[in-house]
Amino acid sequence: MREFITGNQAVVRGAMRAGCDFFAGYPITPASSILSEMIASLGSRPGRAVQTEDEIAAIGCCIGAAMTGARALTATSGPGLSLYSENIGLAQMGEVPLVIVDCQRMGPATGGATSTGEGDVVFARHVTSGSYPLPVLSAADAESAYWLTYEAFRIAERLRTPVIVLLSKDISLTRQTCDLDAIDLPTLTPRSTGGQSGSTRPYRVDSLKSVPDFVPIGGSAPVRFTGSIHGEDGLLTANRGAIDRKLSHLKEKIAANADLLEYVRNDLDADAETLVVSYGLADGAARDAVAELRDSGSRVSHLTLYSLWPMPERAIQKALTARIRRVVVPELNIGLYADELRRLVKDADIESLTRIDGGLIHPRTIAAAVCNAEAAAKLVERDERGRSCQS
Amino acid sequence: MSVLTTLKDEMCYCPGCSHGLALEHLGEAIDRLGVPREKVCLVSDIGCVGTADRYFNCHTFHGLHGRSITYAEGIKRARPDLLVIVLIGDGGCGIGTAHLVHAARRGVGIKIVVFNNFNFGMTGGQHSPTTPERARTTTTPGGAVEHPFDICETVAVSGAGYVARCGVFDPNCVERLEAALRYSGFSLVDLWELCVAYYVPENKLTRPGLKELSARLHMPFGLVRERPPRPGAASADGEAERKRPSSPEAISLPWCGRREVCVAGSAGQRIRSAAGVIGEMAVAAGLHVVQQDDFPITVRKGHSISNLIVSSGPVHYTGVESPHLMVLLSQDGLSRLPILGVQTEGSLLVVDESLGSVPPAARTIRVDLRRIEKESGKQTAALACLVMGVIEAGWISAERILQAAQQALVGRYREENLRAIRVGVDWQQSLSERSPATPAASM
Repeated sequence: MREFITGNQAVVRGAMRAGCDFFAGYPITPASSILSEMIASLGSRPGRAVQTEDEIAAIGCCIGAAMTGARALTATSGPGLSLYSENIGLAQMGEVPLVIVDCQRMGPATGGATSTGEGDVVFARHVTSGSYPLPVLSAADAESAYWLTYEAFRIAERLRTPVIVLLSKDISLTRQTCDLDAIDLPTLTPRSTGGQSGSTRPYRVDSLKSVPDFVPIGGSAPVRFTGSIHGEDGLLTANRGAIDRKLSHLKEKIAANADLLEYVRNDLDADAETLVVSYGLADGAARDAVAELRDSGSRVSHLTLYSLWPMPERAIQKALTARIRRVVVPELNIGLYADELRRLVKDADIESLTRIDGGLIHPRTIAAAVCNAEAAAKLVERDERGRSCQS
Repeated sequence: MSVLTTLKDEMCYCPGCSHGLALEHLGEAIDRLGVPREKVCLVSDIGCVGTADRYFNCHTFHGLHGRSITYAEGIKRARPDLLVIVLIGDGGCGIGTAHLVHAARRGVGIKIVVFNNFNFGMTGGQHSPTTPERARTTTTPGGAVEHPFDICETVAVSGAGYVARCGVFDPNCVERLEAALRYSGFSLVDLWELCVAYYVPENKLTRPGLKELSARLHMPFGLVRERPPRPGAASADGEAERKRPSSPEAISLPWCGRREVCVAGSAGQRIRSAAGVIGEMAVAAGLHVVQQDDFPITVRKGHSISNLIVSSGPVHYTGVESPHLMVLLSQDGLSRLPILGVQTEGSLLVVDESLGSVPPAARTIRVDLRRIEKESGKQTAALACLVMGVIEAGWISAERILQAAQQALVGRYREENLRAIRVGVDWQQSLSERSPATPAASM
């Protein structure tokens, strides 16, 4: 059934479909409707959805609940993500399954509360001290906000890690046509709990890449949780071998599973000389630009990134087919992801298209960058003709 | 077997430090409750007492400084059957004051034990929020000048159910702790202690001196507050799960390509609702729709603008720069358009006749908004104007739009919206009677 819902409503639906049973949040534009909708959605479970005194308490409550076995969600905007920062580190160190939604808005600090912007894409990657990796997904519209939220829960459970899902104001609050029930989603796997024996070594891993079984607080045997550096028994350690093993494991469990964390949409042309790489709000414009360019005979490839970190390197390399010389990267920030792509892409020029004033990047801007000014002018004409035919 | 597995002299604390004794008291109090150890969770803050986890055989959680209260609340909310106890210092009560106060207000049944020794022991004897005036610490070499924080009164006025203060050497210390743990709502015990590494040598504080300090600061030992537990304090006040509206019987609307509409007005004119109603009708008819709104954070004042894209195929780019139809209903909306970069050239403009210099449009229809408001009701005049514009643009016939509205609209505003749509249809008809519109490809 087709519905007409906002990106934030899609997040709530994705979370509920993934079995989310705990939410804590603090009001902030443009994330507030996730808070109110989650309180409504979990209304039949007393105490399981709460508006806290600040963002620190919100994520703290979620971490506590998650360690009892709850599937916890919190949602905020950039200023709130800044306040989450220290606790995201705790969730990494304690290996807490947790989904964090960041409905981005314009600029640093209070910025533009009701204006769009996607400037948190690198911040989300290095969001806490120590700079250990965590998966970051990025929705391009309401539908992808839905299935990415669902996937975020799967990743959080599977890798015992906080996962960040990025939206932005014009995805969060824009209503779009969606057919959520038609989206095919993989099944959820229950947490492996390791039974009672796991409780004495709740952070035991077979290899650096593996993920410790989840032994819940409140389970049949007492278990220890800590954000301090710890051994497999969950107690503080000063043993350098144990420290190295724990911290290497935090890196390796994400790196080794990078392929599982790759969410992209390929629309490639083997003869293309230009590749458009887009994510977030700029992706819709990129799709329209690519379609129009092809209609007018241009050869162009397009790669949509739904996962930003770890960088989907395999998909990007695959999209860099033999003839690609230029990569056009439209983004609603100062060119953050283009900079990161420059580290990976050596044989093609990265052309960064940015807009930071709260407006959207127009398909024509992308088309112009892909071909040249002349072809773009043609597109303007086509656009005008289309207008006159319609009115 | 006790929940406490280690004797105080075998713990890591400085010889003479009160923490070991306080932990022994706590262990005894927990034991007296007879709760199985797998039903107990200790949540420790940062500070010397934060190292206490290892001495207890129960669930333990050690997080960030000042935030122990938040983790405890999350655990208790998710597992109300657990006995959840926070071990926090006076420093933690400072950095986490907001959590202390608001957890007390919410009343979720966590138990807080404050290991209050008037300074930061772990980081080198700096002053804490509870450092008494004139006390010397490494950061108050001339004596503290700040008013000491009364933890008990603070949580008591904030709604805490059980609040007590006692010295760690008081003979009834275990009873106080036990009573706090047995209390079913939020409880707190402020346990006064000696920090032998810093506070004691600097300030000559002694065991009897704790009582004297209590008298001097007018913070008496004993029960500070006891209230009957609040029923359902941990419950969220959410309503029952909302049901999605049932799928209306779909009708199909013939539609060609992508059409962009901008409705611009003021807060209170229900601009967004108007666009939403048309959007819902279009979605129900199998079309693809995007509605993007612009409004200030003061939602009851200032501009309100809604951009609507209705398309026969999926919509990717969601921006609207040059709408095919613009409905302009107030100066607030008009003033905002240039900021959004919304142009109107080539479009049909439906505008309130009271507005001054409006943007150029291929065709402009001036309407008397006040009269429309009288017919449709003030709240839905924007919808009436929008319907008028949609028909006048020749995109859809009056008959079709009425039919689609009948089938698609649900919810508490259905009748109100249907009336407004009828008013819009009537106004459009009276327009065409006055000056017949250029024949458009009516569907």
